Amino acid sequence: MPKLTETRRACLLNGPAIVVLAALVAYPIGYSFWVSLHRQNLKRPKATRFIGLDNYLSLWHDPAFLASLRTTALFVLLVVSMTVVLATVLALVLNETFLGRGVLRSLALLPWAMPGVVNGLMWRTIFDAKTGVLNGLLTQLGVVDHYQAWLSSPTGAFFLTAFAQVWNTLPFAVILLLAGLATIPKDLYDAATVDRAGVVQRFRQVTLPWLLHPLLIVLILETMNAFKAFDTIYVLTGGGPGDATDVIAVLNIRTALTYTDFGLGSAYAWVITLITLLVSLGYVAALYRKGSFEL
Amino acid sequence: MSTVPLRYRLPWKKIVVYALAACFALYLLMPFYWIFAMSFMHEVDAIAVPPQWIPAKPTLENYLSFLKPNAGEALVGGRAIEETPFALGNSLVVAIATAALNLLLSVPAAYAFSRLRFRGAKLLLIGYLLTRMVPSVAIIIPFYLMMRSLDLLDTYGALILSYLTFSLPVTIWVLKDFFRAVPRELEDAARVDRCGWFRTLWTVFLPVAAPGLVAAAVFSFMTAWNEFMFALFMTSTKAAKTMPVVAANFATDMNTQFTLMAAAGVLAVLPPLLLVLIFQRLLVQGMAAGSVKG
Repeated sequence: MPKLTETRRACLLNGPAIVVLAALVAYPIGYSFWVSLHRQNLKRPKATRFIGLDNYLSLWHDPAFLASLRTTALFVLLVVSMTVVLATVLALVLNETFLGRGVLRSLALLPWAMPGVVNGLMWRTIFDAKTGVLNGLLTQLGVVDHYQAWLSSPTGAFFLTAFAQVWNTLPFAVILLLAGLATIPKDLYDAATVDRAGVVQRFRQVTLPWLLHPLLIVLILETMNAFKAFDTIYVLTGGGPGDATDVIAVLNIRTALTYTDFGLGSAYAWVITLITLLVSLGYVAALYRKGSFEL
Repeated sequence: MSTVPLRYRLPWKKIVVYALAACFALYLLMPFYWIFAMSFMHEVDAIAVPPQWIPAKPTLENYLSFLKPNAGEALVGGRAIEETPFALGNSLVVAIATAALNLLLSVPAAYAFSRLRFRGAKLLLIGYLLTRMVPSVAIIIPFYLMMRSLDLLDTYGALILSYLTFSLPVTIWVLKDFFRAVPRELEDAARVDRCGWFRTLWTVFLPVAAPGLVAAAVFSFMTAWNEFMFALFMTSTKAAKTMPVVAANFATDMNTQFTLMAAAGVLAVLPPLLLVLIFQRLLVQGMAAGSVKG
C-alpha cells in the first residue's frame, strides 16, 4: 500500500507545523471567544464573571464601535481604490521598456521594506503643521500661502492617513500585477498591432482580460490589509483628531491595551475575525478557480 | 499627393511613459529621502522654514547620541534614545530566531506538498492559507494571557512564538512553490546511488532549492522585524522591546527631536531595505508565487 505510507509520511512531515499552529492560532482563537463571554478587565481581576453574549449585544449601541466601523469602511474603500489605480498604472509603466526601468523597479520595492511604524513616523514629520516639508513644498510652489495644520482637521487627517497607508502597501500590489502582466503572451500584442488596434484598444482587448484575475487577488488582499491597518495610523494620528481616523484595529488595541478591557476587546476582535474570514473565503475561491491548490 | 509619407510624429507613448516614470520615482523616493536627509541634520536645520532640501551642514550627531545620550537629550525622550541600541539587538535576535524556526518547521511540510501525494493535501493547504488570514487582533488578547501564565511576557520567546503564527503559513506556501520547481530526476539519480531519504533531502534537494530557502528566510525575517502590534503588547522594557516599539516611542513623545526620530527610523528601515535590495529578484519571485504575503 504505497498510498497509505505516503499519507502517513506527509502527516509526520506536517506534524510539527500543525501542532505549532494549533497551539498558537487555533487555541487562542477559541480562548478569545471564551474571554469575550466574560466581563474581564485586567485591572480588576476579581470582578471577572461570565456574562454570556452581553459584550456582543452591547456592540449595537456602542457609539465608539459603530463610528469606528463606518470610519474603517471608508478607509478601506479609499485605500483600496487608490492602491489599485496607482498600482495598475505603475505596473503598466514598469512593463514597458525604457531607460532606468531597473532603478524604478528597485524604487518600487522601497516602501515595502518600510516597517509600518517608520512609515507613520516618516509621514508625521512630513505633514507636520509648523515644520513639515509638505507645507514647505506647497508654499514654495505657491499652492498655499501659509503653513497648514493638515492633521488637525478630521477630513485632512483621514485623507492623509489613507495616503500614507497607500504608500506603504503599493509595492505588494505592483509586484502581483507585474507578475500577471508577464504572463500575457507577446503574440497577442503583435496580432493586435497587425489589426491596427490603438493603445487604448490593445489595453481593453488584450491587457485587461489577462489582468482581471491578478486584479481580483490584489483587491481581496489589499482589502484585508487595509481592514487590519494599525501601525501607520497608530503612530501618525493615534485615531484622532477626535475619532476621525479611529479604525477598528486602533479602537480594539486601545480598548485592550489602554483600558485593559479584555472582555470587550475580545468581542471586537471576534467581529473583525468574522469579517476577515468572509473576505478570505472569497480569496480562497479565487485561488481555487485559478488552480492554485492543484497538487 | 494628398498625404505626406514621412511626416514626423511625436512619440506620445514614450513621452507619457517617461513622464509617469519620473512622477512615480519622485513619489516613491522623496518621503524616504526626507527622513534620510533629516537624520543627518542639526535640529535647527531640520525645522527650518523654508525646508533645507539638502543638509547644508551634515552631522552624525544624531546617530552618535544613541551610543551615549547626553544630559540635555536625556530630559526629552531620553528613554527612547537610551533604548535604541538594545532594541536593535532585540529585533535582530528575534527576527533571526523567527526565520530559523520557520525554516525548521516549514521545510518538511513544504517537502511533503511538493513530493508526496496524500489524502487531505488540498484541505491542509487551504487550512494554512486561512491561518495566514487570521488578523493579529484576533489572537493578541489570549496570547497575552497565555504568555503571562507561562511567565514569558517581555521576553524574546513571546515575540518569536507570536511571529511564527503569521509567518509559518506564508513560508510553507512560498517554499512549496519553490520546491515543486526542483526537478525530480536529481533525487531519482541520488536514489540510484543508494542515498537514503534524508541524505537525498540534505545533500541533493535542499542545495538546489536554496534560493527558495533564502526567499522564505528573508520573508520571515522581515515580517518579524517590522511587526509592531504584538511587540507593543508583549514587551515593556529594553529587555525585549523591538525597534518598531522604540521608534513609536519617539513619535508619541511630543518632545522628541525630529532629527533623532528620523535617525531611529532610518536605523529601523536599514536591515529590511538592504535585504530587499540584495535579494530583489528572489523576493519578487517568491511573493508572486506564494501571493499570500500581506
